[in-house]
Amino acid sequence: MPGTIAPPEIELIIEDFRGGGGGGGRPPDGGDDGDDGDFDRQRRRQPVSSRRFSTGIAIAMVSILMFFMAMASAFLVLHHGSHVWVAVHLPRILWANTAVLLGSSFLLERARVRFSQGDDRGFRKLWSVTTVMGFLFVAGQLVAWRQLAAQGVYIASNQASSFFYVFTGAHAVHLLGGVAALLFVLLRDFEKSQISVSLAAELTSYYWHFMDGLWIFLFALLYLGK
Amino acid sequence: MVTHDGDANQPETSRGRFVSRFLFSTDHKVIGLGYLWLALVSVFLGMAMSLVMRIHVVWPGAHIPFLAALGNAPERYTTLPLLHGSLMVFFVLTAAPQLGFGNYLLPLQIGAREMAFPVLNLCSFWVSVVSLFGMTAAFFTGPQQGITIWIVSVGLFLAAALCSAIIFSVTAIDLRAKGMTLPRMPLTVWAWLVNAILGMLIFSILLASCVGLLSDRIFSTRFFSAATFLASQTTNAAANPLPALWQRLFWFFAQAEVYIAMLPCFGFVSHLIATFSRKPVWRERLVVLALCAVALVGFCVWGQHMFSSGLNPFSPLVFSVLAASLGLPSAILVVSWFATLWKARIHLNTSLLFALGFVSLFLSGGLSGVFLTRRGLTSQTGGEDFVAGHFHLVMGVAATFAVLAALFFWFPKLFGKRLNESLGKTHFWLTFAGVYCVFMPMHWLGLISQSAKNAGADLSSIAAWIGPARSFITAGIVITVFAQGIFLINFLWSLLRGERVKEDNPWRATTLEWSVGSPAPQDNFGDREPGVYRGAYEFGVPGVGEDFIPQHIAPDRVAKAN
Repeated sequence: MPGTIAPPEIELIIEDFRGGGGGGGRPPDGGDDGDDGDFDRQRRRQPVSSRRFSTGIAIAMVSILMFFMAMASAFLVLHHGSHVWVAVHLPRILWANTAVLLGSSFLLERARVRFSQGDDRGFRKLWSVTTVMGFLFVAGQLVAWRQLAAQGVYIASNQASSFFYVFTGAHAVHLLGGVAALLFVLLRDFEKSQISVSLAAELTSYYWHFMDGLWIFLFALLYLGK
Repeated sequence: MVTHDGDANQPETSRGRFVSRFLFSTDHKVIGLGYLWLALVSVFLGMAMSLVMRIHVVWPGAHIPFLAALGNAPERYTTLPLLHGSLMVFFVLTAAPQLGFGNYLLPLQIGAREMAFPVLNLCSFWVSVVSLFGMTAAFFTGPQQGITIWIVSVGLFLAAALCSAIIFSVTAIDLRAKGMTLPRMPLTVWAWLVNAILGMLIFSILLASCVGLLSDRIFSTRFFSAATFLASQTTNAAANPLPALWQRLFWFFAQAEVYIAMLPCFGFVSHLIATFSRKPVWRERLVVLALCAVALVGFCVWGQHMFSSGLNPFSPLVFSVLAASLGLPSAILVVSWFATLWKARIHLNTSLLFALGFVSLFLSGGLSGVFLTRRGLTSQTGGEDFVAGHFHLVMGVAATFAVLAALFFWFPKLFGKRLNESLGKTHFWLTFAGVYCVFMPMHWLGLISQSAKNAGADLSSIAAWIGPARSFITAGIVITVFAQGIFLINFLWSLLRGERVKEDNPWRATTLEWSVGSPAPQDNFGDREPGVYRGAYEFGVPGVGEDFIPQHIAPDRVAKAN
């Protein structure tokens, strides 16, 4: 009968499918498009695929990078266009802080090597040291702030100092997120978690190195921007 | 970082049931509906404000009870457009097509059980709610304090939108069902994905400028100099030029924001036109490329402005118009819509009417954009009404039409009921006529006031035209707002006692969300992970019983049906 809304054939198809009939387990003919492979095997019946975490971290890092790039371009535009740019005398302790941060990144990698060798105690020890160094870096930044304030250079003193305080502040906030991730790996009971220690450690290390590189970039910008 | 919503399937106690089911559910469907309700409240608030503004323009001395109680300072009036704009742009145009429909439909269309990070998703939703309250509260406090609250609220919204953008991208990239390859993704999913990636880039830029602005206000730094932000909101913006840096960062965002609102709408319109024409999307892959190109252009066109020295606030708009309306990607989209409609047996229901309305508004907005590229028009205040008309037509109204089209289409999926068709059609025609009556004379008003500045113009005859034109616009707004009353009645009435949808797939659509019951069950596809066997637009296939094959039907079953 032409013109009916749902002819019997298609109804039959749909019911057959939804009834969960015998042939339901057959794989789709998607072999030609290269999306299958280990990804599909891995997520079969697992509640959560782990790939989402790596993708999420990667995208979050791009997003954070955009945030700092907007600030950096503001810095360059204002610096370039200003006739009365007053340079900030950067405190010496920033060099020490940078060294601490670079060292923490190095230790983090050592910790991951220990983990892959199966040395769990060594991993936890090195990881704890990394975490402490993260705190040390933030504390060092606070000292730098206090030193500047002691010189009478406050956030509103001039544009260069504003940028210094905002750059370091925003970076410290993001870095504390990394410290939280470091602590998470140390304290989390991974028996109950949906992700493994190795994945959590790997993703944390990406973020931590990213924070590291970001600081080098900002430091270079502030230093060369004098 | 994010815990899995483990107890979603366990029986709930009746105490806290409402709270866990509706307020703090990590279910993507509940969150999506939450965003849609937020948008509905905001759109009616924003519309009421535009009505107040129009009344104020035509009868400046009119006594408006609501505003009189707040004091009659000029700042009070200037905060009104600010609130109107922020509610409409953030909570309607950004939230409804992407966060509302996207949250509800994205996992269903790609065959996933949930969005990628459900708890983070829930948090972003509630941060958005707080931000809405903050923006509204800003209106009721004094201007100085209010603007700080407003900036904080915008910052909160941006942070939430950033998290949502990450969630959307990860979901579309990593959580697709077996067989749902990239070429098989529906265009709506493509649009949401591309939009999420664009949003992830530009929201962080505006967030950075918000941080700078906030630091200016709280720590009295001078990133954006001492000019108050309110100054930019006066009707005479050009008389009060903002610091260059603010303009750059703000327009970087504002320009791309146009695309943020439009991209999901392109997806909706392509999807709906194909479904109701019963034809595959014309050159589907080209359309996907066009969507990507729109985002790319939206992002890059600004770069050109960023490094150029021009600081005319309207010039980025010109670039945006050039890119959006005259650029190749938009042309491809428009051609694809018409080619899909060409010689099709069109089912002209309300949903398709709104989609076609979108195409019409998009085209006429684009045409008026051609005039905007004229240098004389855009400079200074002359083109202001013109720009207002153009901007509203292209971005605000067109996007709203696409959202309404989507609402009429997916209402059965969201609530298991249909919206009333005859009320819907009345609503459509009144709104369609109304918005043209409002925004076309507004263009014209812009042209008149521009010509008034020319030497030797007959000022008295021009002035005689402006008053009636303004009254006409106001009358048009009253009619349009009245038509939205019809929509509200239709919406609420259909929600409470509308006609139930009997079959699962009332529109005979192909995508996965129609393979489950309506409204979608809590666990989406149940224990079975859906398999996808074909592209999203297999309409008009010869030799099968019906004229379409849903994505989840295996080839051997199609053969069996024959």
